[in-house]
Amino acid sequence: MTMASFTKAAQQWATFCRSWYVIDATMQPPGKIASICSVHLQGKHKPIYHALSDCGDHVVVLNTKHIAFSGNKWEQKVYSSHTGYPGGFKQVTAAQLHLKDPTAIIKLAVYGMLPRNLLRRTMMQRLHIFPDDNIPEDIIKNITEELPQPRIVPKRLNEYTQEEKESFPRLWTMPEDYRIK
Amino acid sequence: MTSRGTPSRFLKSVLQNGVGRYVCQLKRLSLVFSKDSANSLGVREFIEDGVVDFARQNPGIVVYVAPEKCSIPKIVAEYLNGTVKEEPVNRKTSEEIRQLIKKLSDQSGLEVIRIRKPFHTDSPSIQGQWHPFVNRSPSLRVQRFVKEKSELESS
Repeated sequence: MTMASFTKAAQQWATFCRSWYVIDATMQPPGKIASICSVHLQGKHKPIYHALSDCGDHVVVLNTKHIAFSGNKWEQKVYSSHTGYPGGFKQVTAAQLHLKDPTAIIKLAVYGMLPRNLLRRTMMQRLHIFPDDNIPEDIIKNITEELPQPRIVPKRLNEYTQEEKESFPRLWTMPEDYRIK
Repeated sequence: MTSRGTPSRFLKSVLQNGVGRYVCQLKRLSLVFSKDSANSLGVREFIEDGVVDFARQNPGIVVYVAPEKCSIPKIVAEYLNGTVKEEPVNRKTSEEIRQLIKKLSDQSGLEVIRIRKPFHTDSPSIQGQWHPFVNRSPSLRVQRFVKEKSELESS
């Protein structure tokens, strides 16, 4: 785009305007999603990035209900908090927290990855998390780009058609009278 | 003294961030001097040599010449943003006063303090400034990123 196609004032606004990104969290590790969000919320993906200029973008995270932890993290990972009262130390596993609030795991992961400064809460306000893909129309209108997912979403067996299942290569053909245990 | 303690601001301009045209910010200039004191000799010389030329060359600046009884002659500059600057011109020559007036008329009236992020280039980019749509596919402008409910039901 050449300089002549719009005025200098419009150029200035365009440089510092906020873009909206969307990322689908279906079958994605929460930590990977959070690190992508953290970069975009701080504006570190921009060539004009400077720590003092508040140049972060908005990020919309979809389908956080369907995030996927690897290993035994659903049972092993513990989220701790303290109510402030004596004996108010609470500990819940990732699975319990996810049942209570399907957006909490992503929110806590992003909050932990943002810098500990005065802009932290402002950047969190630019993060829009949705447990499913029911999103208000005014947010959909703003979105300009979809961020690539860090992991390939695996296909479930019930998503394959009968033809695909039958055409799958087999090592041997079952005899008619073969009994499956 | 560390630079943290001194007053500072970001580079600011009365020209709407470089978007507007140049407007001389000095609106009024008063030369206050004494008719007979030796301190005002330079000012009196400047009034004889250069003040009429200066006023002709700068029609946007109102120039007042005020002979008063004063021991220290001064130049009072008033700017469009309301700043008033007083410069004593005690025992200054005509040439020094000419340079001082030139400096005052070039200034914007904003106080002279430390500038944050004083970045400057002598060779600005010929590709133009970056903006979020640089090197992005134009097809993104018409793409819908979230499936509508009707699409979800059909698929």
